[in-house]
Amino acid sequence: MTNTKTVLPTEHCETCPAFTQLEQMGIKVGDFDRVVALAGNPNTGKSTLFNALTGLKQHTGNWPGKTVTRAEGGFEFNKMRYKLVDLPGTYSLLSASQDEEVARDFILFGQPSCTIVVCDATSLERNLNLVMQVMEITENVVIAVNLMDEAKRKGLEVDARSLSRDLGVPAIAITARTGDGIHTLLGAVSDVIEGKIETKPLRVNGTPEFQKAVNELVPMIEQMAPGIPNARWLAIRLLDGDARVQKALSTGELGDIVSRQQRADVKFSGKMSVEGRQITIRLRSSQEHLGDIHKEK
Amino acid sequence: MNTTVWLITAIILIVAIFIPRVGLIAIYKTYRIARERELVEDALKHLLDREQHARQASPESLAGILNLQRTTVMKLIEDMETQGLLESRGSDVHLTTQGERWALHVVRAHRLWERYLTDEARMPLGKIHGESERREHSLTEAQLNDLDAALGHPTRDPHGDPIPTREGTLLKAEGMPLTAWQAEGPMRIVHLEDEPALAFEQILAAGLRLGQTIRILDRNPQRYLLTDGETEFRLAPAVAANVSVAALPESETSKANAISLAELTYDQKAEIVLLDEAVQGFTRRRFLDLGLTPGTVIYPELKNFFGDPRAYRVRGTLIALRKDQAAQIWVKPM
Amino acid sequence: MEANEILAKAESLRNGLSTGFRDEIVKSLYTEAENIAKRAVKSTSNKKYDFDQKIDRLVTSPYAGLPIMLLLLSLIIWLTVSGANVVSGWIAVVLFGIGDYGRALFNQIGMPWWITGFIWDGVYLGLAWVVSVMLPPMMIFFPAFTFLEDLGYLPRVAFNMDWLFKKTGAHGKQSLTMAMGFGCNAAGVIATRVIDSPRERLIAILTNNFVPCNGRFPTLIMLATVFVAASFPPALTSLVAAGTVVGVVLIGVMFTFIASWILSRTVLKGEASAFTLELPPYRRPNISRILYTSIIDRTIFVLWRAMQTAAPAGALIWVLANIHLGDSNLARIIADWLNPFGLLLGLDGVILLAYIIAIPANEIVVPTMMMVYMGAGMMINGPTSSTEIFDLLVNGNGWTMLTAVNLMLFALLHNPCATTIMTIYKETKSLKWATLSVVMTLGTAFIVTFLTATIARLLGWA
Repeated sequence: MTNTKTVLPTEHCETCPAFTQLEQMGIKVGDFDRVVALAGNPNTGKSTLFNALTGLKQHTGNWPGKTVTRAEGGFEFNKMRYKLVDLPGTYSLLSASQDEEVARDFILFGQPSCTIVVCDATSLERNLNLVMQVMEITENVVIAVNLMDEAKRKGLEVDARSLSRDLGVPAIAITARTGDGIHTLLGAVSDVIEGKIETKPLRVNGTPEFQKAVNELVPMIEQMAPGIPNARWLAIRLLDGDARVQKALSTGELGDIVSRQQRADVKFSGKMSVEGRQITIRLRSSQEHLGDIHKEK
Repeated sequence: MNTTVWLITAIILIVAIFIPRVGLIAIYKTYRIARERELVEDALKHLLDREQHARQASPESLAGILNLQRTTVMKLIEDMETQGLLESRGSDVHLTTQGERWALHVVRAHRLWERYLTDEARMPLGKIHGESERREHSLTEAQLNDLDAALGHPTRDPHGDPIPTREGTLLKAEGMPLTAWQAEGPMRIVHLEDEPALAFEQILAAGLRLGQTIRILDRNPQRYLLTDGETEFRLAPAVAANVSVAALPESETSKANAISLAELTYDQKAEIVLLDEAVQGFTRRRFLDLGLTPGTVIYPELKNFFGDPRAYRVRGTLIALRKDQAAQIWVKPM
Repeated sequence: MEANEILAKAESLRNGLSTGFRDEIVKSLYTEAENIAKRAVKSTSNKKYDFDQKIDRLVTSPYAGLPIMLLLLSLIIWLTVSGANVVSGWIAVVLFGIGDYGRALFNQIGMPWWITGFIWDGVYLGLAWVVSVMLPPMMIFFPAFTFLEDLGYLPRVAFNMDWLFKKTGAHGKQSLTMAMGFGCNAAGVIATRVIDSPRERLIAILTNNFVPCNGRFPTLIMLATVFVAASFPPALTSLVAAGTVVGVVLIGVMFTFIASWILSRTVLKGEASAFTLELPPYRRPNISRILYTSIIDRTIFVLWRAMQTAAPAGALIWVLANIHLGDSNLARIIADWLNPFGLLLGLDGVILLAYIIAIPANEIVVPTMMMVYMGAGMMINGPTSSTEIFDLLVNGNGWTMLTAVNLMLFALLHNPCATTIMTIYKETKSLKWATLSVVMTLGTAFIVTFLTATIARLLGWA
């Protein structure tokens, strides 16, 4: 972890306590504790957030569809190393255009620990459509309501707490350009990953006829790949005739995910013990302090 | 010297003729096999077509459709019988289960390919039949399934014919010929027969298209006079028989007092009523994803020098649509 | 449970559902989103149109839209031309000074003449040329272009121009990819990924080269300054030169339309597909990011690539110029051999030789040309003023106005550089399309220059 620099513009962060915890690592560092995906509509400042977090200077022209592949970078927050994957900006995950496929495949098959969906505060309605589609695939979602400064300029007041309540996942107001709110955002991400915040994503049910069809398919999928995390979503995609999901099903790719996940569980417990060691080390180093507490007792 | 030249020429010739896979003989063999397969498949298609219309197929009808001598047709029927594709009883020829499955495969290939040519390759409607006719013989089952999925599992081809499913079920064709339609009031075009090509060209030239709502203004033995409310269409009765119509579905009635988005003027706001039937496949999905769903408020905001495309404000975002796309979105001015 | 069983079940369920299933899913998602957004957002102002909308009305307006576009293009090119001339001079003084010093040093320590020549007159001079010719226009062009890109102006260009693309059977987003092509055609080819329809994407890929990239701008700028602008009063020089370059760019745009139209009716038959283009809100560009992107990502990247090809090319020219056969050298002999064909196109043998050597990168065409013209083995440093260049070309090597005009046309239309060809191959995964991109552009260049030369000669202009 050589080469670390501070990320955010100093004028905003010298005051915040987490300042020293956030470190950038560029893309060279190989080992990461957690993988976070960055999804969102085009032109919501996704790449600005990506650059703010990783310190990389990924260029983003202001025209639709400029990122077709995904970019990766890393940062450190609260002693955990995060790998951040910037997905192409899309309106939806349902069509089969190239950029949408890249984004969806990563959320589904890449199994990120958490997905941040970046929203434009000035046109939430359009952005929430994507948020709900991401929440259909994965539960670990944090919403970053970006461009709060633009919204203010346009005379809009956005209540992030109302969004959290309605959607069942944390929604954090940020302004990626200046760095406002980014630490709260990362805090929420780490809380969601550690299970300190339990998410209950809102799922749109649709017509009864449709629900019945979904309910018939879900058990079949679960029987084929026990432990699959998003059988409901897969069922919906199959009903919609999604070529990619059909292929994943018939080539056994889905089964691989499940087994990979189970392996990941093993790895995670390994990591837990590593973390445990880290905690002990940290405790030892502040033994005096601990001693004080004991004395008080 | 001379002999050497001859020798080399001879060797080259022999190689060119006999070399496996790329030699002349190999090419001829491949051609023969492909040609035979085409013949068999065209015959199967014909038999299926006849059976669906509850008409008997005979060696004569086969000879007519395949443009072959009677003796050649008899030989073909014999071959297909040994392959278990058909049974002939007396002068009648029937498909076996196996034959029907193969026939459905070919029909599926043909119609999916037509769908592809229309939706993705944007080929004019008049040209897709011929192209599909060539393509239908070379697609495998797996390729078809991929194509089907990539196109979003369409149920009808661009002429309105149902596409057989992967399992081989074929829905019944909808509607009845225009000439048989007796009821008053508007109806919807559900099928345009593409054979014979000449009649199909006349239908297209008249300006009729699938999904259009029309009314009969006048009919007499010389011609049918139709209207869609704006334009009048004239068809000869023989051609009109190739147009199938059905009663209006519910969605069409809501279209009744709607206008197309392209007609919306600058000072007007409107609510989207529905996306036209003609928008299918990728374009339809894109429209939906952009939030062009029924009930959405939309209004034109920007116009350029050419007047096309225009940019519309939809759900807080500016989206530019070309005139022909806007014409496929039905809205109700507010 | 088998995968196939599930797929079959899903299909039968799907067929059982009423049609418009997808429509229903999306509609219910959007309805829910609408409700949630309504609860979370409060509008505190009733401004009907904000500033952005006013700007949008102006830059896309039926009357002002196209002129503004042309004005912005001219402005960028004028800035590039007028700024580049000044900076180019400074860099040349420094770099060629270093070259003189290095040569002197080598002579002093007694290096054999051919080592000194190869390194300083070949490799180094090639590099110095490329840097002094290319770097200044790029340093001005890229930031200006990146500024417009970050601002969000490019989609407005696509909006203004789309009708023309529709008429040629192409996609409106092709203007986005063309805009990227101004920077680098290879980047333009990659940018065509934003076009969903494969047919229209191929058209955009194949025609991208008709937009002169930054590597070709120096050639155009030099010719426009030396030949067209020279006869005007000094105050107007850069204006006239910029106007000429804008004219050449517009000819390139015209060829893009013609080529798209022809492609849509021949090898890539089809009608224009559905077109939806989002016009994103304007964003205040971040100046430091613009500088970083345009200098590090774009300028240095393109320059480095040019230098990699310039060094071996410089060496090759030196070798060609120093292999003597009789009283001539190899470069001259090849140039003379190519000369009849060159003259037929209104060019000459040296120009064609320069283009053959410069296949890896177009940037080195002018330097190569100059070196062959000047070089009798010992190369002089590049002429710095336009009168010197004019003198060298017209009085020394028989150039006419026709040569200049045709060289501009040739520079605009000829084949893509090696990197772009490779990119086309990678993007299309097809040798056929990569070959067609070369054949089509080169064919156009030959035909057009041949026609202008023949017509000019018949009319007695040249």
